[in-house]
Amino acid sequence: MQLKQLNKAFLIMTGVSVTVFLYLVFLGYDDIKSVRDVLKIVAAILFPVPVIFFIRFIWIERFLPQNSEEAKLKNQKPAILLLVITVIIVLIILQLLEWMHLSLEKNLIFAHLMNSTAISGYVLNYILYNNLKTNGILSGLLMALAIHVFFFIN
Amino acid sequence: MNFSDPTHQELNPANNSKKRELLFTFQSIIVTGLLALTAIAFFFYNDLAIVKGIKVIFAPFLSVVPLLFVLSILRELHHGFREGNYNREEILKFSAVALAVTMVFTALTYLLSEIDALEILLAAIMAILCVIFFLKSKIKDILGMSIITGIAEGILIYMIFLF
Repeated sequence: MQLKQLNKAFLIMTGVSVTVFLYLVFLGYDDIKSVRDVLKIVAAILFPVPVIFFIRFIWIERFLPQNSEEAKLKNQKPAILLLVITVIIVLIILQLLEWMHLSLEKNLIFAHLMNSTAISGYVLNYILYNNLKTNGILSGLLMALAIHVFFFIN
Repeated sequence: MNFSDPTHQELNPANNSKKRELLFTFQSIIVTGLLALTAIAFFFYNDLAIVKGIKVIFAPFLSVVPLLFVLSILRELHHGFREGNYNREEILKFSAVALAVTMVFTALTYLLSEIDALEILLAAIMAILCVIFFLKSKIKDILGMSIITGIAEGILIYMIFLF
């Protein structure tokens, strides 16, 4: 059963990465000029996968926690707090970067790297570890990225 | 970090070493793919020329023959994957090993990109592949896993930031 979960997590992670990859490729189509750029993008998307495998190799006991009511009740408040704090902090950092003229659109490789790391961490945490506090932090990161891209880039 | 946390009970305690082995296999497949990608990228990007045809044919043998010999005479060096947890010192130690191997392989990939003859590049890539197969078949342990993770990350870091 756990094996199935692992396979599912891996497939979903790959699927999401591919989707985001296609989206970003279309977004930055003009920037892709040579095979070198494509390679960089592929490498940026693959980057988190070995690290995640390694972490899971070490922390195998914490695989699939029981998703009980008490655990949810206990972690609700800290998780929400972490979500709000992370959103605010990441938004401030992104604004600072914009202010320093280091926008995400100009550094597409870093955008890829951040995106794939956050998404694979999020998906794996959601499916395998179910740690609600981590969920708060990662959700905050992704929310902040989405808010930044939708509302603050013109 | 609290492993006795009741919300983190494992469901099937007998299977952990198998899961670890599966992860190890996945990781080595990823590294093999990355090495192939590196070879193809350098080959196309640097317009490598074949200086001597016969050398290309014999380049893999340089490392494959010793590997097969060593694999046939050596017994398993470690006692497989562990069922239980790793403690804090082990986690720190092997993360440090992975980090060190990452840095070494970032530098090594840079050296690979400087090679301007196809047959030498082929020999070097085959040598790294043989090291990975050796780790995969004989050092079935957290040490092998951290080295393989380091190799993968080293190649990726070079590809993203330096290539």
